[in-house]
Amino acid sequence: MKAKEVPQDITFYEGEKRACYALNDEGKYVIVPSTGWEYEAVVNGLAVEELAAHLEETRRAVLAGMVSPLCYHMESRQMNPQILARTAGIAVFRVKRHFRPEIFARLKPALMARYAKALALSVEELKKVPEKNVEKGNNK
Amino acid sequence: MNTEITVSGRPFIHQHAAHCESGVTSALFRDQGVEVSEAMVFGIGSGMFFGHLPFIKWVGMPITTFRSRPRTLFPKVAKRLGGKFFTRQYRNAQKGMIELRQALKDGHLVGLTTNIYWLSYMPHRFRFQFNGHNIIVLREIENGFRVSDPVLDHPVDCSYEDLERARFARGPLEPKGFMYWAESVVENPDFRRACLEGMKESCYMMLRVPFPFVGIKGMRYLAKNIIKSPERLGFPEACRRLANVVRMQEEVGTGGAGFRFMYAAFLQETAELFGSEELAELSQEMTAIGDIWREFAVVSARIVKQRGQATDTFAKAGGLMLICAGREEQLFKDLDELVRKLRS
Repeated sequence: MKAKEVPQDITFYEGEKRACYALNDEGKYVIVPSTGWEYEAVVNGLAVEELAAHLEETRRAVLAGMVSPLCYHMESRQMNPQILARTAGIAVFRVKRHFRPEIFARLKPALMARYAKALALSVEELKKVPEKNVEKGNNK
Repeated sequence: MNTEITVSGRPFIHQHAAHCESGVTSALFRDQGVEVSEAMVFGIGSGMFFGHLPFIKWVGMPITTFRSRPRTLFPKVAKRLGGKFFTRQYRNAQKGMIELRQALKDGHLVGLTTNIYWLSYMPHRFRFQFNGHNIIVLREIENGFRVSDPVLDHPVDCSYEDLERARFARGPLEPKGFMYWAESVVENPDFRRACLEGMKESCYMMLRVPFPFVGIKGMRYLAKNIIKSPERLGFPEACRRLANVVRMQEEVGTGGAGFRFMYAAFLQETAELFGSEELAELSQEMTAIGDIWREFAVVSARIVKQRGQATDTFAKAGGLMLICAGREEQLFKDLDELVRKLRS
């Protein structure tokens, strides 16, 4: 790749730049900052959309009373039950059990606090999900 | 380039790097007075790799990696350049944070392994649960730390809470607050020997590891898999898999084509070091291979975007990868032969 060919498409770097190695006119390697590449944005966009769609599905399920808000917040942090369990110090099977709304509603404050800390939320936030669909961007 | 002052009062020049671990390692060496570029570190530490692990899933997809495992590059470089490093992991987060502050007070430039999701200064879409991101802490500031993240082109501030979460994140490859700094380095290390060792290992990793799915074998396996995937998995799922491969290839930390160019830069530097024409030629070949990897990304992105209406097919994408595999195999075979001839 030549220095002139380093892609400078504005994509999702939010003003940041990435370093790319490219050849300058004398054929020597130099580091050239890149602002993004459209083809990279395509595949990244696909992954982000998928995550967002999945999160929205979970949010609706929470509002419909199918799963507990814990599941929603876990997914919004891009975690899975294994990671959440280790972070909160609670066994995986218990975490999964707490995805059931009726069990989640009866959780002791101490356990609630541990989940809140693991997910970097307040206990109040942990108990509910946003009423409206959150805008794009996979975390707040 | 940005100059910062570290705790010890020395100026620290923040250099933009393509990869976090090699960027941090080269910065630590530079701070100790050993001039070594990021590409050089990448080559010496045998960062070049390929692996496709269909049985290990990450967010539900097989892992494809274009570089060696996180946290293997730094120790290799330290060993080969003869640097003594303090390294430590912590069970207790509080203790880890206290010792970090103490290390900063003592005037060390501290490298940390972190989880990239909790570093809130990163652009949102770079943030995912990945426990292998390396950063340098320069000094303590109010409510946080001044951090030099080699992936960004300027130093940033990181809050205390963010850093604690990032250092002690749980999950696969837990960083456990891994912290390291240079205790002493050899002033004039034997670069030639270190380069040879690095290249030798890279050749082994790419050509001769007695395990399927890694090196050139892995590339061929994945390429054939991609060609067959639309029939085996159905078009949408095949697209998802392909997009994931390209994501792994182009995004921060795993940028596959980027690593090929970085390795080409390394070969160019070693060509000068040894005064070897052959190495310079190999560097050019590596650049050409990197360009094919990029073409593969373009073709794949088109397939994914146009949903079957494009003229590009999975066979074409897989074919490009097979070309990469063939040419990389030849390159590493040539390099392997050359390394045996070169004398440190």
